[in-house]
Amino acid sequence: MTLPGANDRPVGLVENEFASVSVRIDGDGNSARLRVEDLRTGEARFLDPLQLEALVHLVDERLDQLLDPSADRWRHDS
Amino acid sequence: MTAVDASEDLVAVPDGFEVREVEQFLFREARFADENDYDSWEALWTDDALYWVPAGGADIDPINQVSVIYDNRNRISTRMKQVRTGKRYAQAPPSNLRRIIGNIELLGGRHNDEGGVDLEVGANFLAFESRQRGNELWGGRTTYRLRRIDGELRLAYKKVVLVDNDKAIPTMAFLI
Amino acid sequence: MTAVLDDLIHPDKVHGSLYTDQAIFADELRKIWYTTWVFVGHESEVPQANDYVRKRLGLQDVVMTRDKDGEVHLLLNRCAHRGNQVCDDDKGNSGSFRCPYHGWTYRNTGELLGYPYNQGYGGKNKLELGMGKVPRVASYQGFVFGSFAAEGPSLIEHLGAAAGEIDRLVGLSPEGRVGLSAGWLQHKTKANWKLLAENETDGYHPQFVHGSIFGVTGSPIGALYSDSSTAVTRNLGNGHSENDLRPEFRKFDEPMRWFGTTADRVPDYVAAMRETHGEDAERRMIEGAPHVMIFPNLFIAEIQVFNIQPVAVGECIQYATAVQLAGGGELNKRMISQSIGSVGPAGMLLADDTEMYERNQRGVETLTPEWLDVRRGLHREQVDENGFTIGTATDETGMRGFWAHYKTLMEA
Repeated sequence: MTLPGANDRPVGLVENEFASVSVRIDGDGNSARLRVEDLRTGEARFLDPLQLEALVHLVDERLDQLLDPSADRWRHDS
Repeated sequence: MTAVDASEDLVAVPDGFEVREVEQFLFREARFADENDYDSWEALWTDDALYWVPAGGADIDPINQVSVIYDNRNRISTRMKQVRTGKRYAQAPPSNLRRIIGNIELLGGRHNDEGGVDLEVGANFLAFESRQRGNELWGGRTTYRLRRIDGELRLAYKKVVLVDNDKAIPTMAFLI
Repeated sequence: MTAVLDDLIHPDKVHGSLYTDQAIFADELRKIWYTTWVFVGHESEVPQANDYVRKRLGLQDVVMTRDKDGEVHLLLNRCAHRGNQVCDDDKGNSGSFRCPYHGWTYRNTGELLGYPYNQGYGGKNKLELGMGKVPRVASYQGFVFGSFAAEGPSLIEHLGAAAGEIDRLVGLSPEGRVGLSAGWLQHKTKANWKLLAENETDGYHPQFVHGSIFGVTGSPIGALYSDSSTAVTRNLGNGHSENDLRPEFRKFDEPMRWFGTTADRVPDYVAAMRETHGEDAERRMIEGAPHVMIFPNLFIAEIQVFNIQPVAVGECIQYATAVQLAGGGELNKRMISQSIGSVGPAGMLLADDTEMYERNQRGVETLTPEWLDVRRGLHREQVDENGFTIGTATDETGMRGFWAHYKTLMEA
């Protein structure tokens, strides 16, 4: 048995003045997945290969919708 | 690119340097600069001198990015020859200057190209400049490299990182 | 204003108040800086999609962006909500910008993508707002210009004959491109911007202001601006002017003399030029780079580019960088090294020019004799084979061209 995180491969820090995100390839699951952490809030999520592939093929307009602050992060009901 | 002054390349403080003597040397260098004593100031430098005032940050690549000053020994000499003509108008008349150096730290040793180890010293400074344009307060961090040659301390490297080097700064024709 | 300008600008003299009057400066902002084409930056400063860099246009804080499709935009750095500054870093890479004050988020083309808790505005996409944009953006050989006038002459019309001088610079690249990627020295100058614009092609001053450095380095530059020089000062129209040094360099007929070197000292560059340009390479390397002032604020001084921006009636900033030639090989590092020695706050040339600008500003603030004389060479001006007015190397032909165009814009 290995400790959680022991199979992590850090990819690096991706940041600019608007956001700071740390990216790791996580190896704790049965196959690899990406762990992305918002360093300003400490919240993190995993993205599996199929989700990442979906991001690659996302049309720009859909990506823009995700950037609307009200879309997910700052909703009136959040 | 690896910074030319990466702190991870530092080794232990080399033998033969005493804090008081080092301080006295830095104060003397500052006085020569303040009093526009160009001959005495120029004589402090080693033949492999580097006098560097970066712009737009502390750790820019001086070969591929512009700096305010990036003088080798030859260019220091040209700079001094120019100001000695008395017609280097940006420094004729010379600025009235006084500076304070503080927070002096012996940072470590750094291997030089001559097979020896230079002493690396860090210090903060404030310099007050007066000329007809107005008064100017300059501040920053200086990294010095000192070498003992024939028993005397000499200056091999002086890097001056102005705290405001990411902004527009006025003419700086005196010795910073 | 018209009657006043007629009193202040004459063919042979201009009034000192043009450099000191707050009302005239306010008028210049409106009629020149926020109307005509103004140099802002270079496309090579935003090489990748979604790169951005902060710039100035007059007193405006501008963000130059490259969108995902490669198009360059000039956004005003101001949130449409409360007017907060949106971008804080000098440069970065981001497809969208989020104002730190209340989280309003914009695409890097200026469009509003959204705002937090949108019920406060009745839902999403309810606001017809965005970041401000410089209405017209155009580039020539990668040099990016902005105009706040929605309509007016095109950039090509504005550049006129000066476009050929930019071409001449680009023609020194073995790949036909230049970059301004070496960073900018920012030189604060307590003088009116026009003193700089006038000085840039003043061939009368170098032997005096720069005698100290020419003397100690044995530089041949001084002789280019002597009474016996065959170089000419040319009014290129639209306020642009140049010191055309080609007649002198043709006389010597030595490649790279213009750069103060010889072909054998930069063999890789010379070989690359011959490879690309064939027989014409020799002409290019003999004639060298332009020395041209492009109205109102772009000065190409052979291997350096200056961007002049006003701050107040008696203050401006000179941004200076070294030209980098695509495929320039060993020449590029030498151009950076030479530029560091010459320009910026400690430069062995520009610190002295700047000292003169500042003394000049103090001079014009005194009351009499009121006028600045710009008549040098007026009696011996000629028209060249292309119809441009030319004077000798030391004549004030360039300044007179500057003032003629200035008057046209200020009277509009």
